[in-house]
Amino acid sequence: MTNLEKYDKLFLETFHLQPDGLPGLKYRGIQAWDSVGHMDLMSAMEETFGISVSTPDLLDFSSYEKGKEILAKYGVEL
Amino acid sequence: MELAVWTDPLSGSNCYLVGEGGGCLVVDPNDPEGPLSVLEQRGWTPELVALTHEHCDHVAGLEALRARWPEAKTIAAAACSANLGNTRLNMSAVMELYLAFHGKPGVRYPPFACRAADTVYTRPYTARWRGHRIRCVPLPGHTPGSAGIFLDGETLFSGDYLLPGGETVLRLPGGSPEDYRRVTRPFLEGLPRGLTVRPGHGASYML
Repeated sequence: MTNLEKYDKLFLETFHLQPDGLPGLKYRGIQAWDSVGHMDLMSAMEETFGISVSTPDLLDFSSYEKGKEILAKYGVEL
Repeated sequence: MELAVWTDPLSGSNCYLVGEGGGCLVVDPNDPEGPLSVLEQRGWTPELVALTHEHCDHVAGLEALRARWPEAKTIAAAACSANLGNTRLNMSAVMELYLAFHGKPGVRYPPFACRAADTVYTRPYTARWRGHRIRCVPLPGHTPGSAGIFLDGETLFSGDYLLPGGETVLRLPGGSPEDYRRVTRPFLEGLPRGLTVRPGHGASYML
């Protein structure tokens, strides 16, 4: 599985989405991506990619696209 | 029997300390310093530590307590015990994020792991402490390792269930709405009137 596939899977499973719901997806853009959902997504992401993301970056992780930029900072190329 | 409560100012979680004859039952050692200072001040020696679940705001003082009183025995649901060492499932990996969402940005909260419990259970289990019955009932849903801890059938330490005015959160890592609906909600709905509930957050009350 590629990193992009792993990344997408995190969103699909955490928020029970279909793939066409990922582009443009934003924090609080759907009911499931609230603060609780965000903590679930972030902890699963850290475990999936074996990284520890700083809290400012976790707070800055505000969309599907922004998350890709943040992961790149930690050496995860999607 | 005397009861003391230490409420963690950071998370608002409650640690309950039940003292009798110089010994103490500790439920959810939530802070490395607060509960220990209560024990020192009261002259109580912790003998049994019972955990309602594996989240960091309920176990952050467990290793400090064990270091000071190595003879204290910890009891927890098997899943709770297993997850104590996992920073994702004990939530310490994202606790700074949680605190930021709850109006406390910039607080340092390094992830931590705890060692497993001394006694674990997968079915309802009754421990004895100074003649009292400590009945531990697995109640999955909030976490896989959540449990209700009953003291003599009169008091329930309910962890993150039955929070006063609060909704039970089932979406954190390891949470299971299915387990909650199948196992835990029916159990909680069947609790008897007159039971004293001592929740993991907020004030105690009577059902």
